[in-house]
Amino acid sequence: MMDFDLSPDLQRHQEAIRSWGREVAWPLARQADTEHHIPANALAVLDTCPVAIDRIDAGAKGLPTYPDGDLIRDIALWEAVTYGDAWLWESMSKGVGHLIVQKIGTPEQVERWYEPISRPGGGATGLGMSEPGTGSDTSGIATTAKRDGDNWVLNGAKMYCSRGAESEYIVVLASIDRAKRHAGIRAFVVEKNTPGLIITRPNESKLGLRCWVTTALSLENCVIPVGNQLGWTGKDDEDVAIKSLGRALSSFNYTRPLVALQACAFARAAFDYASELLQRERRNFAPHRWQKIEWELEHMDVAIERGRRFAYHAIWLDARGLPNRLEAAAAKAYGPPTAELIIRRCMQLLGPVGASEDHLLEKWYRDCKIFDIFEGTGQIMRRSISRILMGPAAAS
Amino acid sequence: VALDFELTDEQRAVRDLAGRIAAEVLSEAARTAEQAKTVGHEIWRKIAQTGLAPAIPEQYGGGGLPDALASFLSFEAFAHGDAAMTSGIVWSANAAFLLAMCGTESQRSEHLPALAAKPECRAGIALYEGFGRAPSEYRTNIELQNDGRWRVIGRKVAVPYGRAATPLIVVGNDPGSGCLRAAILTPHDSGVVMEQNASLIGLAAAPTENLKLEVVLSAGRLLGGANGDPELLARAVAHVRLTTAFIALGCAQRAVEYASHYATERIAFGRPISQFQGTAFLMADAQVQINAARLESLEVASRLATAGVAKLERSVSMAVSYACAAATRATRDAVQVLGGHGFITDHPVERWYRAAAGLSTLDFDVTCSAFSPVL
Repeated sequence: MMDFDLSPDLQRHQEAIRSWGREVAWPLARQADTEHHIPANALAVLDTCPVAIDRIDAGAKGLPTYPDGDLIRDIALWEAVTYGDAWLWESMSKGVGHLIVQKIGTPEQVERWYEPISRPGGGATGLGMSEPGTGSDTSGIATTAKRDGDNWVLNGAKMYCSRGAESEYIVVLASIDRAKRHAGIRAFVVEKNTPGLIITRPNESKLGLRCWVTTALSLENCVIPVGNQLGWTGKDDEDVAIKSLGRALSSFNYTRPLVALQACAFARAAFDYASELLQRERRNFAPHRWQKIEWELEHMDVAIERGRRFAYHAIWLDARGLPNRLEAAAAKAYGPPTAELIIRRCMQLLGPVGASEDHLLEKWYRDCKIFDIFEGTGQIMRRSISRILMGPAAAS
Repeated sequence: VALDFELTDEQRAVRDLAGRIAAEVLSEAARTAEQAKTVGHEIWRKIAQTGLAPAIPEQYGGGGLPDALASFLSFEAFAHGDAAMTSGIVWSANAAFLLAMCGTESQRSEHLPALAAKPECRAGIALYEGFGRAPSEYRTNIELQNDGRWRVIGRKVAVPYGRAATPLIVVGNDPGSGCLRAAILTPHDSGVVMEQNASLIGLAAAPTENLKLEVVLSAGRLLGGANGDPELLARAVAHVRLTTAFIALGCAQRAVEYASHYATERIAFGRPISQFQGTAFLMADAQVQINAARLESLEVASRLATAGVAKLERSVSMAVSYACAAATRATRDAVQVLGGHGFITDHPVERWYRAAAGLSTLDFDVTCSAFSPVL
């Protein structure tokens, strides 16, 4: 039977995390932005969370269970954490490199590279996918891997490698044969301090989400053992490796709606933040303007809920193992740009005061821009949706 | 009199001159100015030498006042180089403009020569109040006291150079006459309290303060004196407010040009992304809106001297609102076209995204536009 509510306990916990976020995370948000890093006491702050979210990264064990299921639980808690600002989720993140290892590594590789990271205090991992010349179109990956006896030699440049400079290792996507495009791409574990792995920028200078460390790096004749190719079993069996890597990269069917949901969480934070300030200044507005503001707030509120509903539906489909390609792309096409508009409008309603660095709205307006870009831009989402509707005849 | 969109030779010359300086000077210096949170004296001097900002009448040591349209076109062209620095320069020039248009002879001789000669002189106008108020609704009062002196009382936001502005011109309403008035303050006046000095998003090069004012002045400090012409002041204030539209449009146009060029060079899926409608139409839509906004703002500019004062005030609100909507959209879509590259500071589009947002809040009136979700 259709029910649009999360279970009561999960709702309650979301609310508890949100009020905790307002109290402990918002006050540190400006600092995280200015210092381009999570606050030094981030882990101590996480320990004060009313729900044991700090153990999300250690798997399901530490988290309460709800009738909604584990994926919906993780997503819902993540949404609530995001409301408290980006630095909170960055503090909990271990990166994604080890998740790729878990998906496509051999049992030995999983034991060597996934297990240690998954333990508490296990450090972080990076994924070297984006390149200066390649973003949305991963078939254009120009980093090369050349076989040299029992080694691979990597050459190329990567950017937007999350946590790259702080990682135990980086999973680097490189092509063993550029003519084969997608089919030539393999994943390699490059451990930190490997000669030839050169961190060109430990943290890229960004418009927003500045506490999110993204690294630019280059690989210059970087030599790694053959055993560092993920999924390599000792035989150069191409097909297995290709299929599994493709699966690994597309298997996160919930990341697109999750990004959409995060955008909505930012919009909700901005909405609450601005509503409170506006309410306080109500007498300063002429009555006809106040009436219009109430109208606007109502419409923003509804739009945020549309975005959330969209995202939860797509994620729920994934949790059930049902196809969600259209729904996931649609959620992401809707949420992020709508969140941008809402945050900007909140800022504008407050006038120059709302646009100053004394308030968080301008920061969230900078932060939120990435949501319509990463995990596929809004344009890529529309491309996918039109292909679903029209097949290969769709405009590209 | 007939429909005519032709610019005069002077207007074209002024626009082209400003465009050259924008490309050669402002664009280059933008990042540095943002970090330094100021426009350097050298750059200030170069702009001042053009006679465009500040524009000062010849008898006070300037190059004369260009016509309004020429002035707006030059500001738009400057903003094509950098919107934040242009804001800092224009905001000071606007104070000089108010003095030149509405000041008494002695007020002009007192303040204008210094603004013409010294690049370290920064004037400012305490104009905006937030809450969507247009000038006729400003709650800052400039009122006659029993002792014959005048009291300025109110709160102003985004005041360029804040307490340091020399002079600082405060615009408010006279409850006695119900008309607009302005007063000239200097940093020596007591009763000016800074309530907030955080810069606006994207406009760090143009520092502002929020001020609480409670100042008592002699009648000689009223702009134009106690018998100043309120209609002349209202028109001059409309002119000042309209500068925001042109700064926003210069910024928007630059963003569209930059991202369009980028799209022709960036390859994805085997071809330049300019060949995808999803990318190309973003820029096309942005250009449509910019052109519509520019024509609207130009029309308002051309009617500054003739439109009814109440009608003029509202049409300025509308034009500024629409130009800022065009700019926030164009800069946002420019970042989008650059994708991940748009989100890092190697490319200037992220700076324009911020500057357009900051500008859009200055004179924002919720009744001039409506929130609507993307889909």
